[in-house]
Amino acid sequence: MKIKFLLILVLFGLCLSAQEEIKLDNLNDFKAQAGNWQIVGDVTVNRHVDVHHEATEENDSKKKKKRRKKKRNAIEPPKAIVSTPGTGILLNINDKEKHDALITNWEHGDLLLELEVLLPKGSNSGIYFQGRYELQLKDSWGVKNPLGSDMGGFHNNWETDEAKIFRGIPPTSNASKAPGLWQTYKVHFQAPRFDETGKKTANAKFISVDLNGVRIHNNVEVPTYTGGPIEKNEVAKGPLLIQGNHGPVAIRNFKYQLLKESSVELTSLSHVIYKGAFKGLDELNENAKVATGKSNKIDILSVGEEDEYGIMYIGTLDVAEKDDYIISVGYTGGVKLIFDNKKIVEDNSSSGEGWLNEEVTLSKGTHKFILINIKSAAWRAPRLGLSIKSKSTNSKDFHTYDSYPPNINTVSPIFVQPDSKPRLLRAFVSFNGNGKRLSHTIGVGTPEGVNYIYDLGAGNLVGVWRGEFVDATPMWHSRGDGSFKPKGAVQWTFLNQPIAQLSDSNTAFPETGTAPEFVSKGYVIDKTTWLPIFKYRYKDVDIENRITPDPSNNYVVHDIQFSKSGLTNWYCKLASGEVEKMSDGAYLIKDKQYYIKVLTGQIPIVRKVNGETELIIPVDGSNIKYEIIW
Amino acid sequence: MINKVIHNKIKVIIVLIVIGFSQIVLAQNAPKEEDYYRITKVPTPEGVKVEGGGVLSLPDGTIAVCTRRGDVWIIENPTMANGYPSKFIKFASGLHEPLGLAYKDGALYTAQRGELTKLVDTDGDRIADVYETVYAWPLSTHYHEYSFGPVIAPDNAFFVTANVAFGNEEWWRGESRVPWRGWTMKIYEDGRMEPWATGMRSPAGYGLIDDELFYTDNQGDWVGSGGLWHLPKGVFTAHPAGLKWSEHKDSPIKLTKEAFYGKIDKRQVKKNGRYVKPENIIDEEDPDFVYEAKASFPEVQLPAVVLPHGILGISNSEIKVDKTGGKFGPFSGQVFVGDMGQSKIMRVVLEKVKGEYQGVAFDFRSGFQSGVMRMDFDQNGNLFVGETNRGWGSAGTTNSGLEFLTWTGRIPFEMKTVKSMPDGFEIEFTKPVDKSSAEDLDSYQGKSYIYKYHAAYGSPQANLETINLKGVNVSDDGYKVRIVTDNLRPFYVHEITLNGVKEKESGQITLHPTFYYTLNNIADGDKLELSQLSTKRSSSIKKKVAKKTKASKTAVAKKTKMVLTDAQVQPLLTNNTCVACHHKEKRIVGPSFKLIAKRNYTDEEMVDLIYNPQPKNWPEYATPMAPMPQVPKDEALKIAAWINSLK
Repeated sequence: MKIKFLLILVLFGLCLSAQEEIKLDNLNDFKAQAGNWQIVGDVTVNRHVDVHHEATEENDSKKKKKRRKKKRNAIEPPKAIVSTPGTGILLNINDKEKHDALITNWEHGDLLLELEVLLPKGSNSGIYFQGRYELQLKDSWGVKNPLGSDMGGFHNNWETDEAKIFRGIPPTSNASKAPGLWQTYKVHFQAPRFDETGKKTANAKFISVDLNGVRIHNNVEVPTYTGGPIEKNEVAKGPLLIQGNHGPVAIRNFKYQLLKESSVELTSLSHVIYKGAFKGLDELNENAKVATGKSNKIDILSVGEEDEYGIMYIGTLDVAEKDDYIISVGYTGGVKLIFDNKKIVEDNSSSGEGWLNEEVTLSKGTHKFILINIKSAAWRAPRLGLSIKSKSTNSKDFHTYDSYPPNINTVSPIFVQPDSKPRLLRAFVSFNGNGKRLSHTIGVGTPEGVNYIYDLGAGNLVGVWRGEFVDATPMWHSRGDGSFKPKGAVQWTFLNQPIAQLSDSNTAFPETGTAPEFVSKGYVIDKTTWLPIFKYRYKDVDIENRITPDPSNNYVVHDIQFSKSGLTNWYCKLASGEVEKMSDGAYLIKDKQYYIKVLTGQIPIVRKVNGETELIIPVDGSNIKYEIIW
Repeated sequence: MINKVIHNKIKVIIVLIVIGFSQIVLAQNAPKEEDYYRITKVPTPEGVKVEGGGVLSLPDGTIAVCTRRGDVWIIENPTMANGYPSKFIKFASGLHEPLGLAYKDGALYTAQRGELTKLVDTDGDRIADVYETVYAWPLSTHYHEYSFGPVIAPDNAFFVTANVAFGNEEWWRGESRVPWRGWTMKIYEDGRMEPWATGMRSPAGYGLIDDELFYTDNQGDWVGSGGLWHLPKGVFTAHPAGLKWSEHKDSPIKLTKEAFYGKIDKRQVKKNGRYVKPENIIDEEDPDFVYEAKASFPEVQLPAVVLPHGILGISNSEIKVDKTGGKFGPFSGQVFVGDMGQSKIMRVVLEKVKGEYQGVAFDFRSGFQSGVMRMDFDQNGNLFVGETNRGWGSAGTTNSGLEFLTWTGRIPFEMKTVKSMPDGFEIEFTKPVDKSSAEDLDSYQGKSYIYKYHAAYGSPQANLETINLKGVNVSDDGYKVRIVTDNLRPFYVHEITLNGVKEKESGQITLHPTFYYTLNNIADGDKLELSQLSTKRSSSIKKKVAKKTKASKTAVAKKTKMVLTDAQVQPLLTNNTCVACHHKEKRIVGPSFKLIAKRNYTDEEMVDLIYNPQPKNWPEYATPMAPMPQVPKDEALKIAAWINSLK
């Protein structure tokens, strides 16, 4: 087969990140509240205690309560969430008296928001954008078909007037994690727009919402306020509000960026059109001039030629605010942008293409603007575009749509989904989504939506996720690259051969399996579950791995069996990263990303090798069974 | 009465006209491939995508097909006999782009990208429940690291071939990033692996011929043209990437990459801090050829049969020997080779000369709906063809599919085989030839050429030379013709077209009039005496007439620029291999001629682009065009003028 052209897609300008961070050393960014919100150092959740259940108890009859109280007097009931003093985490623990919402001192229109949130079992809260549009925070772990009232949904309001009813918008998938684990949100919010008379001209819109790295909303409009707004109206600006009356919630890494419309204007724009096979920008000359005119926007189609042309735009850039601006010029051929006689970007070519980006500080006032473009490359379509943004403004285009049309991927995606039986599919997989590419990996998806990736080359469970199975477009479209992408929020584990005989406790596990010590034997299908039983041989011991969903179809149970007993200096690595032991014997891994719980009685050891903290258990040949809960 | 007479007259005239027409129709009704071999599509159930990576006839009469989507289908009643559709049974799924199937002792074996896998149905429900890894090899996870196979060796072991990866910055250079990319592996049921041979670039085809392993490779860097190689243990064929592992303890090859590149320029040059892609050097003074490399390195294995690039395919695939005992027609025992890009099948006949395999290749059957990847004969002698083009583009109407080829029972007039003779070749026909046409030296036209051995992508036909016939000798039964020439060149492809040799019975020329013989060795034996040869040339009689027409033609040409018609340009496009990648209307591998016309090149600019293509001009086409300096300037100008007339 033939060699491949590397198509480098130039991605431009779309990657936004929140810049301001609320340190959470204090509550100065927020309005005063009853005291249910506090700054703490750490939080620990007992994942078995349901706060929703506790809350209902409060409303129970006095008789029942008394009965319970009696019971409880015997042993203090475990708390759902406990904290340690310190800073860095915002914690709400509401009770009958104190249950205020937390409201920012500042108000926002368009907003980028990033934060991490942690909820105990059964808890419920919400982030109200502009105090009016609630993105639901809720323990929705295990919900198969999420609603607007679930984690990541936009909550319905309870209006009865047809015109005001909002029925809620569920997330496109349930990407939420188990109680007591940190979950990340990344939101790009666009405020509603109003005309001078105060009439709404555009709905509030969530450009994107990512939960735990999974896109759960894409350009979703919320046409009115959701349930429980700060006020029952819509406005251009409002504060961010976090609900505090439905259960405990902890928040950290709170970052935001206020965005406004760019006030930069391009005025007095005129253009000169040239004809000729110009090979460089300096070849434009008076003699080649064919037309002049005025323009509102940059529009390469106004040249009227497919090729062998030049165009020069001259105008004034009106800057209302001094700021650092990111200037982006998209083009085919060659291009040069000049502000106030200073070159901003240049590609002195006749056949180039792409986007050129440059950050410049522009003072308040007017700036002389010159943009020159030539093209002498018949195979490239005419393209010229200019976009300007600053870190606090949305990007603004100064060109017509088809002068530089957006890069839209029109490939039909190829999704793979299990039907009534589990679906297995081998492919290359990038660990962590963008890390090391593994070559001998297989994805297993169950009809119940519990999925995992297993590395046959190391006998290792490398990742688990819930929801839809995989996107195989990268493997099967055109030539393909042999890989697929999991469609959910993958909880990645680690890269090692996890079962090994180690010469001493300071020896690291092998990076991967290597012949002749380690030999993969493939798998057989268990015809009762249609799930694979993986087999390999390590040091003359036959080892079998079964990875199955737990009975509630929420997480996985990893079962490992050995053909020999009496093994010495053998260990099994369960996890990599910081480890916290929980009261139920489970271990919290990697800064509260997931839980490991051993079911077969082996006592885990926490050790540090080469700077990496590991959770391991000794192996003697008896069965190992542990849960991965995320 | 008068009326009636007139009426009758008209009738007669009509009859005459009809007769006249039908005569013309008959005369034009030249034999076509489909008269002898019929293609039938096997419809797949909605939603089932058969990008055929493996096709295998099973002992129970079913056909097994493995697909790029990772499934293995068992197809019951694949020829749709009894007017009943075939049934598709999903035997296995989830495999990693498997590219081959073999059957042994009740199990199916397939090469996934990273391992040889044994698939077993232990409980008889026709669904595999064992996916056993026989042997796994490392991969760097480059997209081009395809693995092909297995083919079952006579000792019941398995052969698997492995593609090279390509460089990152040097995206044109084949690389063996991990063992044993660029190699053929021999794998045993117990999990042992024996590195067998290297030099593979994109070894998509493999098969046993006379119980010996053969493989096909694709044109590219270090592979001037596709071809068929005999692969005994320990040989090195073409691409040097795999030599990286020759110092490995298990390597049967001792030739190191240092020794190799010490002799043959790697063409790895940096300019302004960036690597420069090696291109064909036009008018190169002393180009390297593989046979010269063989003189330095005895491990080098020459291609047994070159399949000239662009003529006999552009991306050769499966090798299949006709063991149907005549059910597939008159070519029993011969070899069929598929091609992905041109969606066709070629025919090869091997002979052993001086202990080495070499032989002849012919076109056989084109017109498949997509790239021909894998083939196997069912028990009735139908040739099943698994198809895909995998994003590279191919002739035909689809990107993938499954078809089968059936012999109609008619015998085509063809060259059955061509053998090397000490003074030329012996051609054997399927039917007796018309003696007078076969004895006419003007019925033959020949040239010979060779391909360069270099780091550039592909190679033009180099050192072109006309083959002049000294004479011919036609056997008494009309089945054999010896052609004699002084222009034999060892290692060169000898391409001879029989444009005037007619079948005795029908007066038609052969269905495929050209043979391509790779003459690594010239056979020993008795030469023919001059007295045994016919040396007549019909052109010496016709000369006068030819002169006249020629004169009138040039007169017209002087007045206006002559643009050839579609029919006139066709032979030029075919001979110069343009049609390998271009079609008048449709995108194949390259852009359509109509699209090229839109670029507004002058004829001269276009000729220049034929000699020095600029792949960057066509960024949306995956396969870069190779320089074609062998196209004669006058022909290139005619082609360019024709393309420009399509605007």
